[in-house]
Amino acid sequence: MTSTTKTVCPSCGGPISEADRFCETCGAELTPATPGTPALDTDTEPTIELHPGAARGAEAAPGPCRSCGGAISADGYCENCGTKATKPRDHFSEQPAPWVAAVCDRGIRHSRNEDAVAIAADPEPGSRALLVVCDGVSSSLDSDVASLAAARAARDVLEAGNAQGMGTESSRISAVVARLNAAADAASDAVLANTSPDSPNPASCTFVATVLEGDLLVAGVVGDSRAYWFPDNAEAVALTVDDSWAAELIATGVPRHEAETGPQAHAITRWLGKDAPDHTPRTTSMKVVGPGWLMACSDGLWNYCSEAAPLADLTRQTAAAHGGDPLATASALVDWANAQGGQDNITVALARI
Amino acid sequence: MAEFTASVYQNEFLPDGGTDVHAIVTVSCSGAGSAGQSGSGDAGEIIIVDTSGSMGAEGVRAAAFAAQTALDQILDGVWFAVISGNDRAQLAFPPSPEPVMVKMDQFTRQAAKDAVARFYADGGTAMGTWLRLASRVFATVPSLTQKHALLLTDGENQHESPEVLTQTIQAVTGQFQCDCRGVGVAWQVNEVRRIATALLGTVDIIPAPDQLAAEFAKIIQNAMSKGVAQADMRVWAPQGAQVLFVRQVAPTVDDLTARRTEVNALTGAYPTGSWGDESRDYHVAIRLAAKGIGQEQLAARVQLALGDQVVAQGLVRALWSEDEALTTRISPEVAHYTGQTELADAIQEGLAAKAAGDTATATTKLGRAVQLAAQTGNEEATTRLRKVVDIDDQDNGTVRLKRTVEKADEMALDTASTKTTRVKK
Repeated sequence: MTSTTKTVCPSCGGPISEADRFCETCGAELTPATPGTPALDTDTEPTIELHPGAARGAEAAPGPCRSCGGAISADGYCENCGTKATKPRDHFSEQPAPWVAAVCDRGIRHSRNEDAVAIAADPEPGSRALLVVCDGVSSSLDSDVASLAAARAARDVLEAGNAQGMGTESSRISAVVARLNAAADAASDAVLANTSPDSPNPASCTFVATVLEGDLLVAGVVGDSRAYWFPDNAEAVALTVDDSWAAELIATGVPRHEAETGPQAHAITRWLGKDAPDHTPRTTSMKVVGPGWLMACSDGLWNYCSEAAPLADLTRQTAAAHGGDPLATASALVDWANAQGGQDNITVALARI
Repeated sequence: MAEFTASVYQNEFLPDGGTDVHAIVTVSCSGAGSAGQSGSGDAGEIIIVDTSGSMGAEGVRAAAFAAQTALDQILDGVWFAVISGNDRAQLAFPPSPEPVMVKMDQFTRQAAKDAVARFYADGGTAMGTWLRLASRVFATVPSLTQKHALLLTDGENQHESPEVLTQTIQAVTGQFQCDCRGVGVAWQVNEVRRIATALLGTVDIIPAPDQLAAEFAKIIQNAMSKGVAQADMRVWAPQGAQVLFVRQVAPTVDDLTARRTEVNALTGAYPTGSWGDESRDYHVAIRLAAKGIGQEQLAARVQLALGDQVVAQGLVRALWSEDEALTTRISPEVAHYTGQTELADAIQEGLAAKAAGDTATATTKLGRAVQLAAQTGNEEATTRLRKVVDIDDQDNGTVRLKRTVEKADEMALDTASTKTTRVKK
């Protein structure tokens, strides 16, 4: 039923063909798909780089109904209970190496998944891991397309770069910071490329990226997606400070819980997108000593557990219950957030170091 | 080859805790071809003419002429027979003591016309016997997939109890389709409507015998244009859901709910008879278990099936939302046909009350009918209502019963009560 050549207008969702320069339905100008940067169709695009060992069936055949286990009809709904089959974009996971994994989920209350994640890792545990999470701003158009493109573009930039500076500690840090800046630029370009020029409400998203190289850990952030370091035998560390109204309140002394549940709690002050004033990530770096969990996540998770210490406890307990497997742990944390209400899209990326 | 399409009109958004989903499904058929030509079986046609004593010499002559006109419209190659009915049924053509049909050609057509010319008025009326004979006659040709009859009566079913008629209707339901016409004003609309509704046909009044021939020709032409012998409407609803009702709402109101046969535990089939190049609207209502805000699920798959083959499908969806701007909107199609269904009920109940001498109820019901006809833009219904009531205020449904009403006008209002106007899309 769904043709692979069929795509939809990023502005209005109407049908377009690859040759069209303008959408027949809304008249939006269409960015031609250039080789190397294929247009993303969030209805049909399978999630990239699925871990071969991940428990998923053939991509073409939608699996059993997530609600009742019944068969999914060609019309996209369960043949037994009528539940809508999950679109690949609504729930996907990645595990580039056994020690690094991520799960991205629509949650319960939102009708589409505007969160995105893209990760990479070298096979050797603890060697090199790159985690990127982008959370599309739901008040803007096409944020689901833009956020995924942004996350992938940033991940690709981080993966390609391996400059070490002059080899000293400080020059390694500045080399990684430069890569994070370049990654944020690439992510920003990807958002713009997926925004129709005359969009009244241009796509925008947050950005958080972590680069682990040996014992060096650098995190960069734009917006309110977060990174944490949960060492096994030391206090948990929040690697990022949100660019948000709530964070500004906290800085002035308002208690965290009060600030993060206030009416403006989710207003962010910086983001990626056409109308963004500035998208240079604020970075922090640290030296990793001893084992622990590195996490990047969206507010769909931390809304239910914001402080570093309890989130570290939750992560450690969840990991212990799942044999320390990063994919199972990330998946269980997503399930936990859904069990708390799933008010927002949920993304959890984990590296076991 | 006939092609079917199905389109769904609904507001899929339900409020928190909402359970009931309503949708109008428009099913359209094109390229149907003509009866018996589709290669999926033969077509059969039986003309049933009332020859009771009350028809009189003139009435029978008009009926015979109308039957001859109808015979001219039956396509060559279609199996046919003619039954004359009074308090018992007789096979007027082919002339045989046993039930039998023949194929139409120039010779059988002429022979049938000659046989019909020998009709004379005599005896009483027992329509059940006519229907039973028609069923037996159709059964003699196993290759028939499409069976249609045209029944003409002029009086009450006096020589048969209502119970016997009911049993007969039940026995022949599903055996053939039957369009029924009453000539004059001495017949009972309710009685004949029972037959027509069960046998997936229409009912109407032909006020004067000289109008018979034109009406007969139209009915047979219509039957001959139905190239799709029979189709079922199938409604799938999810496990735990309840199908509240399935109604045809255009071109006429016809409640199909009780005609369900099970295809599987979740799917029911409802017979829709034969199809030509036409479009029909159905109103489907499903009750679901409420889901959480933001959840989406399928409320119904509405399909048209030819035998075991599904040829068109429409999806009725449910999506729970906390956005009141979305959930409080009423689909204009659903609203229109809900009004048209109530209009049909108001007319029938109003006329029944009037016949029973309950002027107050009749005035209220027919006033409501006037109001609904105006609201839903059913001008034909308004015109017919004007012949029975004087309208003081159309918008508020204030009416007075007319002192003198032509019986035929009242019956025409009754028989046409189920006719609906299409919603403007």
